Amino acid sequence: MRWPEAALPALAALALSAGALAAERESEYSRAIETIRCDCGCHPQSVADCACGRAAEMRREIAAQIDQGRSAEEVIAAYVARHGEQIRIVPEARGFSLVAWLGPLVLLPVAAWLVVAVLRRWRRRVEPALPALDPDDPYLARVERELEGS
Amino acid sequence: MIALGYYALAAALGFAVWATLAAAVAHRTGRADVQCSAERGVVASFALILVAVVALLHAFLTDRFEVNYVYSYSSAAQPVRYKLAALWGGQAGSLLFWVAILGGMAALMIRANRRRNRALMPIATAVVAGTMSFFLLLCAFVENPFELGPPRPDGVGLNPQLKNYWMLIHPPTLYLGYVGFTIPFAFAIAALVTRRTDDVWFRTTRRWTLAAWFFLGAGILLGAYWAYIELGWGGYWAWDPVENASLMPWLTGTAFLHSVMIQEKKGMLKVWNVLLVILTFALSIFGTFLTRSGIISSVHSFATSGIGPAFAVFLGIVFFGSLALLVLRLEDLRSAARLESLLSRESTFLFNNMVLVGIAACVLLLTTFPILSEWVTSRKVTMGPPIFNLVNVPWALVLLFLAGVGPLIAWRKATASHLKRQFTVPLLVGGWVTLAALVLDVRRCTAALGGLFRSFVRLDVVGALEHVQTFYAPLAFGIGAFVLATVAVEFHRGVRLRRHRHGETAARALAMLLWTQKRRYGGYIVHAGIVVIFFGIAGSSAYRVEHVAELSPGEAAQVAGYTLRYEGARLEVEDDHASTVVELSLFDEGRFLGYLEAEQRQHPHFVYPQLREAFERALERRGADPASYTQAVREVYARIAALAREVGREVHTPSTEVAIRASFSPLRPTRFAEDVYVIPLWTDPDTQRASFRIFVHPLVNLIWLGGILAALGAVVCVLPDLRERARLGVAREAERRAVA
Repeated sequence: MRWPEAALPALAALALSAGALAAERESEYSRAIETIRCDCGCHPQSVADCACGRAAEMRREIAAQIDQGRSAEEVIAAYVARHGEQIRIVPEARGFSLVAWLGPLVLLPVAAWLVVAVLRRWRRRVEPALPALDPDDPYLARVERELEGS
Repeated sequence: MIALGYYALAAALGFAVWATLAAAVAHRTGRADVQCSAERGVVASFALILVAVVALLHAFLTDRFEVNYVYSYSSAAQPVRYKLAALWGGQAGSLLFWVAILGGMAALMIRANRRRNRALMPIATAVVAGTMSFFLLLCAFVENPFELGPPRPDGVGLNPQLKNYWMLIHPPTLYLGYVGFTIPFAFAIAALVTRRTDDVWFRTTRRWTLAAWFFLGAGILLGAYWAYIELGWGGYWAWDPVENASLMPWLTGTAFLHSVMIQEKKGMLKVWNVLLVILTFALSIFGTFLTRSGIISSVHSFATSGIGPAFAVFLGIVFFGSLALLVLRLEDLRSAARLESLLSRESTFLFNNMVLVGIAACVLLLTTFPILSEWVTSRKVTMGPPIFNLVNVPWALVLLFLAGVGPLIAWRKATASHLKRQFTVPLLVGGWVTLAALVLDVRRCTAALGGLFRSFVRLDVVGALEHVQTFYAPLAFGIGAFVLATVAVEFHRGVRLRRHRHGETAARALAMLLWTQKRRYGGYIVHAGIVVIFFGIAGSSAYRVEHVAELSPGEAAQVAGYTLRYEGARLEVEDDHASTVVELSLFDEGRFLGYLEAEQRQHPHFVYPQLREAFERALERRGADPASYTQAVREVYARIAALAREVGREVHTPSTEVAIRASFSPLRPTRFAEDVYVIPLWTDPDTQRASFRIFVHPLVNLIWLGGILAALGAVVCVLPDLRERARLGVAREAERRAVA
């Protein structure tokens, strides 16, 4: 429950008239406050997470708008229209911002593939003259054991 | 004293520049006397920097408010410890402090190498002295801490959020880390320039690197702890640019500490190791640049000024200059890289390096993305914590897994039976813990599975990622348990072997194991500490409970099985602030745990005499008749409000003291290392009705405990080691013979 103080009576009224509707409003509200950034000027935090007084004010503003029957998307769009794209705590995953969203996740397998490629190249440099060792050779296992013990 | 400090800075710059030039000449001509002069120049420069530091501290202690820096960061009423800590409270003083630490390290480097590494020393001295010259240049001409203004009766004072015990130790620790990487960097450059690219340079700087890595890591954790208890938003890490700036060199430094082992054992990865040292140093400078230039607006950049361009130029010279040198020397560094098996310690180290550098790259991308986005699309965007968490956690989990795999896989080649023997127990432990974590939170997990499926159907990538996040914590617990099990297996095996061979008791065998193989077993302890930190992060971020309550005295709120009863509020004045103190009593399932006190503080700006007067009157009534005391404090509040209306801007700085109650009781094992964390939001002075934000953070204290464990492990690693010294001797001898 993150409903701010000012909106409590309104929420109670909604709850009386239609419980399902109130739950839906509640989820719209939390979606909005988790998407919109607190404009207090500290490090970026969503309105839901920021601890400053400004966040409490913004929560009341947003709650009032949700109470008027607007959806989270409409409220967010209004904020974006007024303050620009940066009022979102994270950019939408489209256009150039996809680089930030997917870049790191794509990089992980690409980097792993690169490392494997490097390792394979290194392995080929080992002189083929060496006889292939049987990993289950009991003598070898003993050597391994003793090497480890040392 | 102020004039003395000013001239000492200028003279220190002169000596540093001399040392740089003389050392370069000494390298060219090979003249030992010129090198000796350069080294003395560095020491003289350091001594003069110390004079400047003492002069600035003297100005703080004697309240010389005509000095702009003292005026901005101190006030007459400021406690002595914060007058001293104000040295690094702002831009100019931070730079002076930075260069003072660098000077100290340079002097230490010269002393430690006065009879050794004579071939490497000229260039190493030149690099360190050059770095000192740059920072002294900034101190003397761009951000001079001794700059004078008009005479002033009192100062503004340190930002109240900085008036905290941790202000005394967090910045110096972090700076020791940042600055410490200069020495390994200097030796790496010296090795490149003199073409002595064998083992000597990194064996010489091994302990410098470890110490810098240790201090940077400790600084990061102390910063997190400070944010947690002082900034009062309920978290400890916000992916703030300045936090990221300290994390990146730590990551590349960690990568270096690991990959250098491959060079030690197999003579491979020479280029990569030099590159990592260059990256780490460049990222340290970049971190200082981010902190100090305020290029990406951030909470830590309390001071901003025009030193950005100077830093950008220096950073460019350091980074591209070093890279160019590296390219010129590629031929020397060519090593016969050979690998016998993909399943070997070598390859896990390579993956470990990939992940560490990969995380650093991701953090760099996301931190600078607002600037990138503005360039490319001319739209500003915000990079909030959610995106950092989402994209970095998968990397971090892979890293954690490798921390368990690496130490158990043999060098050269691991065999199937060997793997089976090593990994059976740890894998079983890890699997069971993952399963338990999933089952204990089964409702959320099944909901996330459903959501994941729906997102896939709708091709909603971000939505899918958000559902995947639900599984991060169970995976972190499982993989962490796997790593802890591998560490336990290693210790167990070592102890058993010693007992068998030397007939020692278990305790003695353990102690001897640590003493005789400090690097290996110290490293395991560091790994265990890191795992414990991961547990703390996973628990406190995935299972935290938050509740906002508005209560009148006597009413109670229920949060995650705790009951918090609001007892009432009172007004106080103390030190330099007026505060509203709220008191709650805390119960766990009916059992009384104790009282919690949280405060909302107002720090009046004492440059306004009417505020100072009201404040002092309230301070006098403290301890006397409660009614008249409260009345006097209310007067302070009333005057702040009236004056703010009158002058049209804030005349006070607010701050919050949160209440934290940690649980370590053996009676409640499920609450072990858990915090109840209360932030006061507002209080009505008439009715005493108050609003609170209450968090329950499971396992959060494991972050700090894990940090202590990792620090202990690092200390074991850095203790003098006879075998290590012998290896360095062998490397030097080999080099001497090769040169001869």
